Amino acid sequence: MNITEKLTALYPSLTQQDFLTVITLQNDSDGKGDYIAKWEHPTLAKPTDEELA
Amino acid sequence: MSSMVLSGDTSGAITITVPAIAGTNTATLPAATGTVMVSGNMPAFSAYSSALVSSTASTFTKITYDTEDFDTNSNFASSRFTATVAGYYQFNATIAFSGIVVVGAASFVTLYKNGSRFLDGNYAAQISGSTMFNSVSGIMYLNGSTDYVEVFGFQTAGTQNIGSIQSTLKFNGCLVRSA
Repeated sequence: MNITEKLTALYPSLTQQDFLTVITLQNDSDGKGDYIAKWEHPTLAKPTDEELA
Repeated sequence: MSSMVLSGDTSGAITITVPAIAGTNTATLPAATGTVMVSGNMPAFSAYSSALVSSTASTFTKITYDTEDFDTNSNFASSRFTATVAGYYQFNATIAFSGIVVVGAASFVTLYKNGSRFLDGNYAAQISGSTMFNSVSGIMYLNGSTDYVEVFGFQTAGTQNIGSIQSTLKFNGCLVRSA
């Protein structure tokens, strides 16, 4: 399960628009994988590393 | 006189040379203050990638570029352009998305400035089973010391391969006006 799938499983209300505005998932193609670069969602808290593990 | 040398107050000199070709030509300087642009201070670059990168849905994924067509001022390295001349730069990038299997997916390519999304291309619907090409172009100011530009791709469904799958898909740019 990738980070997008984990986030949408944790927060089913997330929309595609959220990933274009208040949340930025990013991969710098440096071998370190996908990560949360920005989390500014007005109501949902940024998940912890444990929740995304 | 075939050339004229202007010496600096303390060091350096500029030589203005007339080519040894018959005929009369006129170079008119504008009635404005600014830096005269010549080829030596007008960087231009063009690069493409021979490798694809894997892209997760809803994730901005950096496009890697490993081959340069040209890089006149050695400003392009590690898939990013870092300006050493301050001014306004035109950038263009086209990337391809392949492995599209979800109907209703969409994609776009965006230019990042200093690690943040800065200039988006068109957001376009993909067609399942096809290869999607997305482009972005625009002008941005770079300070000539720390500002840098990278290309990121974004798609909305599944895991897709993105990048310059052929040498005709470029990330290129040039200085169009000094600061």
